[in-house]
Amino acid sequence: MIQGNRACALGALDAGVSFFAGYPITPSSEIMEAMAEELPKSGGVFLQMEDEIASICACIGASLAGDLAMTATSGPGFSLMQEGLGYAIMIETPLLIVNVMRVGPSTGRPTAPSQGDVMQARWGTHGDHPAIVLAASNVADMYRLTMAAVRFAQRFRTPVILLADQMVGQMRESFSPELVGRYRLTSGDFDFTPGYIHPDLAREVHRPHVLGQGEHPHVTGLYHDFTGFPNNDPDQSSEFLRELYNKVAHHRDELCLYDVKNEGKGRVCIVAYGSCARTARAAWRLAEQEGLPVEVLHLYTLFPLPVEIIQTVARRVEFMLIPELNLGQYAHEVRKMAEQWTTVIGMGKIDGTLFTPREILDRIGELIGKYESV
Amino acid sequence: MTLQIEQYLHTERLPHIWCPGCGLGIVTGAFLRVLVDLGLERENTVVVSGIGCSSRAANYLDVGTVHSIHGRALAVATGVKMARPNFKVVVFTGDGDAAAIGGNHLIHACRRNIDITCILFNNQTYGMTGGQTAPTMNVGDRSTTARHGQIERPFDLCRLTQAAGASFVARGVAANIREMEKLIKRGMQHVGFSFVEAVVPCPTEFGRRNGMSNPINMLEDARARAVSVAKAAKMSPEELQGKIVTGVLHEDESAPEFQQVYAAAAALQAEATEAQSQVDDLVKAPAGDKG
Repeated sequence: MIQGNRACALGALDAGVSFFAGYPITPSSEIMEAMAEELPKSGGVFLQMEDEIASICACIGASLAGDLAMTATSGPGFSLMQEGLGYAIMIETPLLIVNVMRVGPSTGRPTAPSQGDVMQARWGTHGDHPAIVLAASNVADMYRLTMAAVRFAQRFRTPVILLADQMVGQMRESFSPELVGRYRLTSGDFDFTPGYIHPDLAREVHRPHVLGQGEHPHVTGLYHDFTGFPNNDPDQSSEFLRELYNKVAHHRDELCLYDVKNEGKGRVCIVAYGSCARTARAAWRLAEQEGLPVEVLHLYTLFPLPVEIIQTVARRVEFMLIPELNLGQYAHEVRKMAEQWTTVIGMGKIDGTLFTPREILDRIGELIGKYESV
Repeated sequence: MTLQIEQYLHTERLPHIWCPGCGLGIVTGAFLRVLVDLGLERENTVVVSGIGCSSRAANYLDVGTVHSIHGRALAVATGVKMARPNFKVVVFTGDGDAAAIGGNHLIHACRRNIDITCILFNNQTYGMTGGQTAPTMNVGDRSTTARHGQIERPFDLCRLTQAAGASFVARGVAANIREMEKLIKRGMQHVGFSFVEAVVPCPTEFGRRNGMSNPINMLEDARARAVSVAKAAKMSPEELQGKIVTGVLHEDESAPEFQQVYAAAAALQAEATEAQSQVDDLVKAPAGDKG
């Protein structure tokens, strides 16, 4: 039995993370505690910084020097990290940020789960920017998605955000990292040499600026060109920023991780992520017993938007139901992608409790019943 | 091989963006001479800066340079230094950057006593944004956000950093550039957190609003107000009013440097873990093997 937050730390260590800087916050502190115990003795660096701003900035510094760096936090701390996040995106620095979401806004209830930071993860930092956002639904996910996130960060040279919630982070489940083969989600060429760029990405990922390694580069958050120095030419700025955006947008196939249950057999598809995906899977099993035609699309990647799979499923189902522990943040995204083919219904909860499978199933019953009575 | 001063400078990026009469270039010149003097390798020297006029120096220096975000240079530098302890890490920052928005990082970097040199360019204003009130501005000084005079009291940043735990604290003025150069050099040679305040004139944004738009007058005013630490020790608080005390204000060679302490603690942690795993093996081993 292992806790979700601990599994995240183990995943990070196994993926080669060698630098952690953080600040205590419920319900993510166990990740930092595990890193404090493990990193120094294996030659890595653990720092407890003065706040979350310093934490992400120290990670950026370490990452610029070629270390694989991560931090972990929860909603209020994640808000403080937003400026640093934008800087890391702009200077193309790999970084892992884990946000174990608690119910908010503000201090909210630190010991209760929520999925209220989905849009903050996508658009929290200012300006147009790419985002890679993953969502963990159980302890095994905390391990394997942490590994995937570190690899994506390294490969695309950009920060990756892993969203979990209080329930996933603090619950305990039986899980063994030795079974990593079974849990591995990503494949392919992962090279951890600092500054390495995969040949597939050579066009869009700019030449990295790694401090040391025989180089003495300049790095700035100002509009700059591939040399790293400021450049105010509109054409070159546009080209640079579009490449920054497209390096993620053009690799959706590789980045979008998901799982479909009961594929092609549902009239209703439950689209779910994080702890709601657990409830959705339980609801599907219940639906099987009760003879309701239900599919589940479990999303591990929220951004870039998994357009292809959403649209494929949307073409074949009558309803898409999206249970979320927020007021429809992701349902809006799905609606934009799917509404020309299907009816997208969100169901939200912000009271710090989880959905029950029965609640979801009852809503499906209502939808199908409504449809049949028309 | 000793590098020439031009080799530490991106000469192709000149002229710089600073206004005529600005003191930032004078002190940056002193820093460049120190780089030559110490013979630092460009690959292993990193300057991290924040946002503001002084932080733009990072654009011109040909060492590893990180032009980071407002107030956070010390936090970024802490990450760089911890990841690469062999690097010489220097922070270029301004009074608004380090003492207002980045004040928390400043005191904590001092407290850790990590081996970073922080050169703070104090021009008593926010130059880049057009001359707003800075936390170092004296009561009565005028700015675009204090048209009738500043009413808050200023920070004495050297006293602040010393109290917060910096093991080397010095102050110089751009007008006495030879002394400034020596202070920067000593700061960079010091093991531990060294804080060097450089009092620089900003005739455009500060001087114009405070009856000193002539840069020469500003430099001469600073020179006239500068008193050495030794001289200041013999002066009364009344006599010290309006003076700028310059020189090494604090130096403590015995203060434990953070990275050395970190390395020692990490080694102990590794030993303890090893010992624990030996105990665990002993407990787990079959009875006959325990001998």
